[in-house]
Amino acid sequence: MPVIKDAVCSLCGSLCDDITVTVEDNKITKIENACILGHSKFVGMFEHDRIEKPMIRKEGELVPVSYEEAIEAASKILVNSRRTLSYGWCSTSCEAISKAIQLAEETGSLIDSTANVCHGPSALAAQEKGAPGASLGEIKNRADVIVFWGCNPVHAHPRHMSRYSSFSKGFFSTKGRKSRKMVVIDVRKTDTAKLADKYVEIEQGSDLLLITALRSAVNGHEDVIPETVAGISKEEVLELAETLKNAQFSCIFFGMGVTQSRSKYKNGDGVSSLISDLNQHSKAVMIGMRGHYNVTGFGQVATWETGFPMAIDFARGFPYYNPGETGANDVLVREEADAAIISAADAGAHFPQKAVRHLAKIPVIQIDPYANPTTELADVVIPAAVVGIEAEGTAYRMDAIPLRMKKLIDTEFKTDEQIAKDLIAKVRELKEGA
Amino acid sequence: MQAVKLSLKKANKIPIEADTVTPDNLAGKTKEEIEAIPVWYGNGQCPLGDFFTVEVEGSDSAENTKIVFEGDVSRVKRIGQGMSAGEIEINGNVDMHCGFGMKGGKIVINGDADSWLGCEMKGGEIILNGNATYYVGSGYRGESCGMRGGKITINGNAKDYLGEHMCGGEILVTGNVGLLPAISNNGGTIVIEGNATMPASEMKNGTVIIKGEVSDLLPSYKEDGTEEVEGVSYRKFVGDVNAGGKGMLLVK
Amino acid sequence: MSEILIKNANVCDPAQAINCETMDICIRDGKIVESVSENAKVIDAGGRLTMAGGFDGHTHSAGKINVGRFINPNDARKNLVPGLSGPEARTEKTRAQVGYNTPNTYAIGYRYAKLGYTTICEAAIPLLAARHTHEEFKEIPILDKMGLSLFGSNWQVMEYIRDKEPEKLAAYVAWGLKASRGYGVKIVNAGGGEAWGWGKNVSGLYDPVPNFDVTPAEILMGLAEANEKLQLPHSVHVHCNNLGKPGNYETTIETMKMFEKVKPVVDRQALHVTHVQFNAYAGTSWRDFETGAPMVADYLNGADHLTFDLGQVIFGPAVTMTADGPVEYANSRMLHEKWSNQDIELEDASGVVPLSYSPKSFINAVQWAIGIELALLVDDPWKMMFTTDSPNGGSFVNYPEAYTYLMSAKKREQIISGFGQMALDRMVLPGLDKELSFYELAIMTRSMQSKMYSRPEKGNLKVGSDADVAIYDIITSDIDPSVEHEKVKQAFSGATYTLKDGKVVVKDGKIEATPMGRTYWVNAKVPADIDSAMQKDTDIKFRKYYTVSKSNYMVEDSYLPIPVEISAEGEF
Repeated sequence: MPVIKDAVCSLCGSLCDDITVTVEDNKITKIENACILGHSKFVGMFEHDRIEKPMIRKEGELVPVSYEEAIEAASKILVNSRRTLSYGWCSTSCEAISKAIQLAEETGSLIDSTANVCHGPSALAAQEKGAPGASLGEIKNRADVIVFWGCNPVHAHPRHMSRYSSFSKGFFSTKGRKSRKMVVIDVRKTDTAKLADKYVEIEQGSDLLLITALRSAVNGHEDVIPETVAGISKEEVLELAETLKNAQFSCIFFGMGVTQSRSKYKNGDGVSSLISDLNQHSKAVMIGMRGHYNVTGFGQVATWETGFPMAIDFARGFPYYNPGETGANDVLVREEADAAIISAADAGAHFPQKAVRHLAKIPVIQIDPYANPTTELADVVIPAAVVGIEAEGTAYRMDAIPLRMKKLIDTEFKTDEQIAKDLIAKVRELKEGA
Repeated sequence: MQAVKLSLKKANKIPIEADTVTPDNLAGKTKEEIEAIPVWYGNGQCPLGDFFTVEVEGSDSAENTKIVFEGDVSRVKRIGQGMSAGEIEINGNVDMHCGFGMKGGKIVINGDADSWLGCEMKGGEIILNGNATYYVGSGYRGESCGMRGGKITINGNAKDYLGEHMCGGEILVTGNVGLLPAISNNGGTIVIEGNATMPASEMKNGTVIIKGEVSDLLPSYKEDGTEEVEGVSYRKFVGDVNAGGKGMLLVK
Repeated sequence: MSEILIKNANVCDPAQAINCETMDICIRDGKIVESVSENAKVIDAGGRLTMAGGFDGHTHSAGKINVGRFINPNDARKNLVPGLSGPEARTEKTRAQVGYNTPNTYAIGYRYAKLGYTTICEAAIPLLAARHTHEEFKEIPILDKMGLSLFGSNWQVMEYIRDKEPEKLAAYVAWGLKASRGYGVKIVNAGGGEAWGWGKNVSGLYDPVPNFDVTPAEILMGLAEANEKLQLPHSVHVHCNNLGKPGNYETTIETMKMFEKVKPVVDRQALHVTHVQFNAYAGTSWRDFETGAPMVADYLNGADHLTFDLGQVIFGPAVTMTADGPVEYANSRMLHEKWSNQDIELEDASGVVPLSYSPKSFINAVQWAIGIELALLVDDPWKMMFTTDSPNGGSFVNYPEAYTYLMSAKKREQIISGFGQMALDRMVLPGLDKELSFYELAIMTRSMQSKMYSRPEKGNLKVGSDADVAIYDIITSDIDPSVEHEKVKQAFSGATYTLKDGKVVVKDGKIEATPMGRTYWVNAKVPADIDSAMQKDTDIKFRKYYTVSKSNYMVEDSYLPIPVEISAEGEF
């Protein structure tokens, strides 16, 4: 009965790598150290229905076919299309992402990640101002002020606070929680906020106002701050600025509240500027609380292979990048895409209605271990192995530290990487024949 | 004078990239030559004539060439990109990047314009008789200087990020704008006759005049008396203090 | 068996003291051999200048460069050196390319190969993120690669030095190299990376690192001792303290002096000092800033225990990227530029800031001059490696442009004539009329690296060496590089032939083939008992302070598709 130690959890951006997995009869029967989300991934996978076989939609119904038939049907769709959108690729390995990018390049397609609905604005913010960060261990060992802004780790990253932040014990922060002041800034009192030393409730959509006010305070321009900003008093703003300025090491963790609220990427951009201003007084860094376990990895691979982290358009043979024009949502809502590959993501569930309606009209290839609302829209469905459990590969943690996910059990299913490779080969074959 | 009329044969969803359709490129060409100009359409190129009925009258230099688009070109991008002379008239809605990097000449749009109208403009004039979308007169992603010359007039409304990273030129909007107009500016003049939200964030230099309502003025501007422009008195704000800015923000 | 006969090659191979002699080169199965059969494929070099493939021994091309790419999407479209920059559509043989200062991985491989380079060394690998470097290496076509692993602000290193445990230190260095699959020991602003963890810096060689009770000088000497104890193929590779500060030339000379007492057991230098241009500044502030190159060159001329590289500045946009975190933050504030930072727990710092060098800025003009002054004032080219610290001083695609600075006084004059008096008063370059020859250029771009990195099969065309060959469209007897510098630049910008392991990868400046290159790394052996003792200490570090498990730390075999393991045996 093999017990595998230090397995990497492939659910959220925390990428915990201390999971102990017990395997019996090629099934995971026991998990130690994982949080409820990780548990649902490792053990829950045996409770969900897998897509058992490759399928093609014939006369409105999905019919099982051989792998080769599915590859051929999918490749035909790609070869005959003028503007394919390849979307998702975040719950998979870097090795698979690399092949997906190559496939997009060879077919002149667009490729985008789930950052589109999530931390995409963080990339845009970094492109304006840079990304002043640090690896999570720096926070664990040094941080005496931790801010959670627009994020709720209690629910979204359950082990974050014990492994990396508020509750962790480090070299300089020997007293753990008592070594730090925890501040939560949000629009409502979340479960994370309930654990804070200081909870700052701001008005919806006012993040940029508070960020700007904090900058003014930090930069010695208190006089331009009005009596009320973002729904809080000037006094509270100044107090918060003092807390940050007087820290030995502060870290702002930010989430969807910052990236998806009003003025989107300008919020992250503003935080980046605030961090730079703070470093005139004390050490400060910022880290984005990435959701999917390998959305950071997509950003890394795409950047070194194409120069851009997401929303890449290969139509003209070289990469072109312009979120708002080349993002997944953009080309679906504008009904530009004439075909789509959706992998390791659920566009059917997460995209706006207009985008989903368009997906229903075009040929869709789905590559995924599990059926989901996207399956209802798919014309070709290819089941994939679950990366991090049935297949190994690289993933990048939210702080860009790369880890290798282990293969824990055997499987008959092909990996995303293999499927993408086979699609590339078949596309080449069809193009040559033409 | 050379007049070229391009009528879209059939509405398209996959955008046509018309960056080769400028007076500079069409001047002196015959109807057949113009029909043969390749344009990107998704992942391949097709001759312009596949999409447009082309009518040509006369033959002249770029500055004496006028191109007229008839019909809804809301899926034709980059019209007038980089043009240096001549005129383009669009009688319909137009897609993204119209007038991108324009150096001279004039574009008149009788319809709405999608995002990035006049992005990285260097000179010339754009007149929009309709509504604009995002990033009017803005910069390219990652660059610190965007629009640096020329004039954009919008007889309608515009959405967010108008004039982002502007470092020269003029923008006039007769209607309202969305969020964060004039963000990170380092020069140029923007006049908004309607309303705006969170204007002139991180401005280093330039002038922004807002005649309508300002929502959520950012806490990074210092009020400094009044300033009169064309007989109207405005409250004067100097900033953005966090950018060490000497920009002038005038609000009603 | 594949044989190639290169006829009529005008060979410049300083390793064999061959100076522009026309001869044939025989290649079999990827190696240079004495002779080949009549079945050999013939390449007629037509009397063209032929050298071993170039070896860029210090470039930021895999790892941290990704941050540079990420924050500068506007670099992708920059086409400042046509043919070697900007977006290029994919072809049958090549993947799509973008970029100028921070090109994508495919562009890096192709463009170096077009310049006739066949080996590169990534200047800085953070141990904890080493996998990232190797992932990028996998996607860089053609070139052979190696990397230098960062040790200079590492907690375990500093503790062993403080506690006087040289044997465990050596064991740790060996282990760290293995964990990161690195080739050599890199030290950046010794101790400064830890100070930067608190937003501080070390002010000089004797300023103790807060909380660790060691000085940068002790870190340098401790790591040097460990390096020699392990008999590593490369010496320690040092980015000096106080980089970028007026007056820092004194720190640089003092650092170099400290190493006089280090005796390498391997036949090579005791110290390599990198991008010295950034560390050869005199004056006390930017107001009285001036060149420190004459003082540094003076010391270098009297020293035979070290090698250095230039860090030449190229005018135009550049991207600084370094483990010297404090320098980057200061750059961003001073120049009002974007700032990225990534401190790595227990190990080191890093920062990335884009900027621009302008001939109108007297500071940039002097920086530009200093790199060339060093190259012209130091007498022995075997001590000097040519670099721009790409892309810190400028992108590697500008190497041919920079060669003309070294080879043509007229070219230099053209540029100097655009400088203001304030710049001219602070440099000595206008008074230097020395012009380097093709021979000296060859030494600085391929030959000296062979000894510097202990890679006898690289950087030369000796029998037995790798058949990495570059043939340039220059007839040395027909060209005066001093006058025809544009022709020189053009020829070096696109080799007539580049061969990698005897395979034609570039022909007439175009990519012909894209084989995968090797990754060299060093596996240093340490006695089992010392290793065990060291592992107990690192176990504690991982249990208590790191945020990854120790068992997940080591870079796995799957990240090196074609590894070359170089053994080293420690002397304990």
